[in-house]
Amino acid sequence: MANKYDVCVIGAGPGGYVAAIRSAQLGFKTAIIEREALGGVCLNVGCIPSKAMITAAHFLHKAQHEAPKMGINISGIDLDMGKLVDWKQSVCDRMSKGVEQLLKGNKATIISGEATFKNQTTLSVKSSKGTEEVTADKFIIATGSRPIEIPGFKIDENEVCSSTGALAMTELPKKVVVIGGGYIGLEISSYLAKLGSEVEILEASDALLTGVADKDCVQVVARKLKKLGVKVNFNTFAKKYVKKGKSFEITAEVKGKETVFAADKILLTVGRKPNSDQMGLDKIGIELDQHGFIKVDPQMKTNLANIYAIGDIAGQPMLAHKASHEGVLVAEVLAGQNRVYDAKTVPAVIFTDPEIASAGMLESECKEQGYTDLKIAKFPFAANGRAVSMMEPDGFVKMIADKKTNVLLGVHIVGPEASNLISEAALAIEMGARLEDLALTIHPHPTLGETMMEAAEATLGHAIHMIQKPLKSKSNGGPTAHV
Amino acid sequence: MSIENVNLPDIGEGVTEGEMVSWLVAVGDSVEVDQPVAEIMTDKATVEVPSPIAGTVKELLVSEGDVVPIETAMLKVDTAGASASAAAAPKTAPAEPVANEPVAAAAPTPAANVASTSTIQPPVASSKVLATPSTRRLARELNIDINNIPGSGLAGRVTRDDVLSKSNGAGAVSAGTPMMKMPEIKVPQFNGSATGGEERVPLRGIRRKIAQQMQMTKQVVPHFTLMDEANVTELYKTRKKVKEIGASYGVKVTYLPFIMKALIATMREFPMFNASIDDNAEEIVYKKYFNIGFAADTPQGLLVPVVKNADQKTILQLAQEITELSNKARDGKLALDEMKGACITITNIGSVGGTYATPIINHPEVAIVGVYKMVDKPVFMDGKFKAAKVMNYTVTADHRLIDGAVAANFLNAFFKRIENPSHLLLDMI
Repeated sequence: MANKYDVCVIGAGPGGYVAAIRSAQLGFKTAIIEREALGGVCLNVGCIPSKAMITAAHFLHKAQHEAPKMGINISGIDLDMGKLVDWKQSVCDRMSKGVEQLLKGNKATIISGEATFKNQTTLSVKSSKGTEEVTADKFIIATGSRPIEIPGFKIDENEVCSSTGALAMTELPKKVVVIGGGYIGLEISSYLAKLGSEVEILEASDALLTGVADKDCVQVVARKLKKLGVKVNFNTFAKKYVKKGKSFEITAEVKGKETVFAADKILLTVGRKPNSDQMGLDKIGIELDQHGFIKVDPQMKTNLANIYAIGDIAGQPMLAHKASHEGVLVAEVLAGQNRVYDAKTVPAVIFTDPEIASAGMLESECKEQGYTDLKIAKFPFAANGRAVSMMEPDGFVKMIADKKTNVLLGVHIVGPEASNLISEAALAIEMGARLEDLALTIHPHPTLGETMMEAAEATLGHAIHMIQKPLKSKSNGGPTAHV
Repeated sequence: MSIENVNLPDIGEGVTEGEMVSWLVAVGDSVEVDQPVAEIMTDKATVEVPSPIAGTVKELLVSEGDVVPIETAMLKVDTAGASASAAAAPKTAPAEPVANEPVAAAAPTPAANVASTSTIQPPVASSKVLATPSTRRLARELNIDINNIPGSGLAGRVTRDDVLSKSNGAGAVSAGTPMMKMPEIKVPQFNGSATGGEERVPLRGIRRKIAQQMQMTKQVVPHFTLMDEANVTELYKTRKKVKEIGASYGVKVTYLPFIMKALIATMREFPMFNASIDDNAEEIVYKKYFNIGFAADTPQGLLVPVVKNADQKTILQLAQEITELSNKARDGKLALDEMKGACITITNIGSVGGTYATPIINHPEVAIVGVYKMVDKPVFMDGKFKAAKVMNYTVTADHRLIDGAVAANFLNAFFKRIENPSHLLLDMI
């Protein structure tokens, strides 16, 4: 009976491995099962490798187009795609190894193989070494999600690639058609364009990043894409493709008419769906919602008392850091601690050029929540010394606050290092901060972070580095509401 | 040779220390994984502490009677020679909680605790609540719905202090000092008989806990007791009928559920009986919930299991829960949580004997109701003597909060219900 555990986590992505580590820290005899590589999609074929590629492409682009403006003329710039991919892989391997060490250091048992529920308390785990049974008092399902396919396009990671195949390409394609203008499509499009591919995006709706990002932010990115030579086709429904010699012809419907696009690589990035059709979850009667996510309560418990689910498979937003947060939460719930999912915001970051990051609510969401009177203002990076000196003046910080109380409701950033700036906004929102709290916190100069303070000032109506209407009162430093 | 310490595990439920009652192993004994090694007494429950490792006991680091903080090393075990199979020997009985259930919940063997978590469903702060994440967590840990706390800070911010003061208000009364400073009492020396004829037994475990609690309460709370006799002939008849109906559900319906219901209805009328005094804050804490404790005489001593939210339960449910709790109390299986949070206590010492008693209040409650034996008595009614079922009741109250006349009115209001069970129908929710 060596394979009996207190807690068994299935899936070693950013949700699962965090849950396993915390479970082990809390004294549970813990196992974690992974069918592919430790770290899951995030570390191996998602967040981390794409950031490596994006950094490399950004570097190349700067060397080619911005360095000369600074008086640095670099000749003979050459891209060795094979070496780039090797380096990217080394990044992933290093991080995955780190996860392995952490799990082992915390005495969690790592089991390689594909798990299927035999019944509510027993898993059968198939690997190259054969099949073994694992039983546990509690299970945490953290098996994530996978790319969606559409009719006419089957992902084979060769002709039609998901992000996984795109990140593994050792040769830079000359012409790429990207189906889907969501965040994964845009991130890959931007770096491929910077590396030198001709990129064309086919988007079924009439906007990029629909529903996930602030419209003003998206506009800045759309302008930059155009500059990079990325063509975006809206209202375009990809239907099928045929092979023509070494390249492909993609047929799409645009406003009722058929249009043909040529490419020598097709990327399909139309979204992801939960892996809830696997593992025999239906056999043991796990309840799913209409989108295929496992239904969980605020403590991540499924309809079965001994089974919990976290991360992508447990619902939107499908983001690694949400999964990790839930991983800690669920382990502490199992240990009898008084925990519940109670985060006010899951910040989101998109590594386009420039980056988009957000915390809190969109303007429309504020209205839905009953905040009728809002204060909204933007502070541009063009007015920030550090941004200009980095030659990254595009973008802004936009803040939304409740007009009555000045309580911060949403922050949307598009600009340099937006991904690194947003954590301050997330903290401010979790703390229930008011605009004054941000404005009165001394931000070091010269940094991009000053834009947070300035945006708060701007939203209060009196930014320093931006011309706004005159102050109403001289005595108390402005129209600050005191509630 | 590898010597490892076995620590007193975190027993959970806010317990920070336990008193060593007795060792279950001696130096030189071999222990298995999960074998109980010591009996520890915490807040009225005696629990067994299992060893998380296998090996040979080398040294006992604490003595019987010591008060041991959690995470303190209790004994040294030589793990050399413990066979691997013994170390891995799984213990698979978390579903059936034994007397040491709270200890099994501790860090080394958390499996048992897993089962108990399913009922916790703390409230989530709504998007409008202004409070820091740590404050929101604090509220949850104190079982307070932060959505219901009016924030005292800017823009309605709920502060840490708001949560803490609400917590005191919710009945988690601090053990603080009484509002009146007590003179230090010098306990006179006990001089044993010079000629022997005495036996000395250490004051330990539940007995010591009872001694401390009673002494503290008698010192802090000015008690007074009111006594009266109720004609419960109607109740007797009603209960006789109901007992048969209950039996068809497999439930033994005693008088206690009726007494509880009558008491709850009366407490609604007299809210000061459902209150506590927070000595530190010099505040009266009125409770909006009705948890009723009942004294149970057990082989280990007096225990007070608590029926939680008794106002929301039917007589049948109450009867069932009382039976369950009594059985657990008798078998020493009550969880700490099942003895906490009472608003008022009922003691039916009378079922054992005596016409009247002057019970001691279960602090921080402010009253205790005594129930005595039912007897047949002639009662002079409508010009003649009639046979009646008569029962004595006492109400003992904290005079700091409750005056004599109020207690008399309380007892009258209670009698109105207990003498006429139909009245309970009017109080039904």
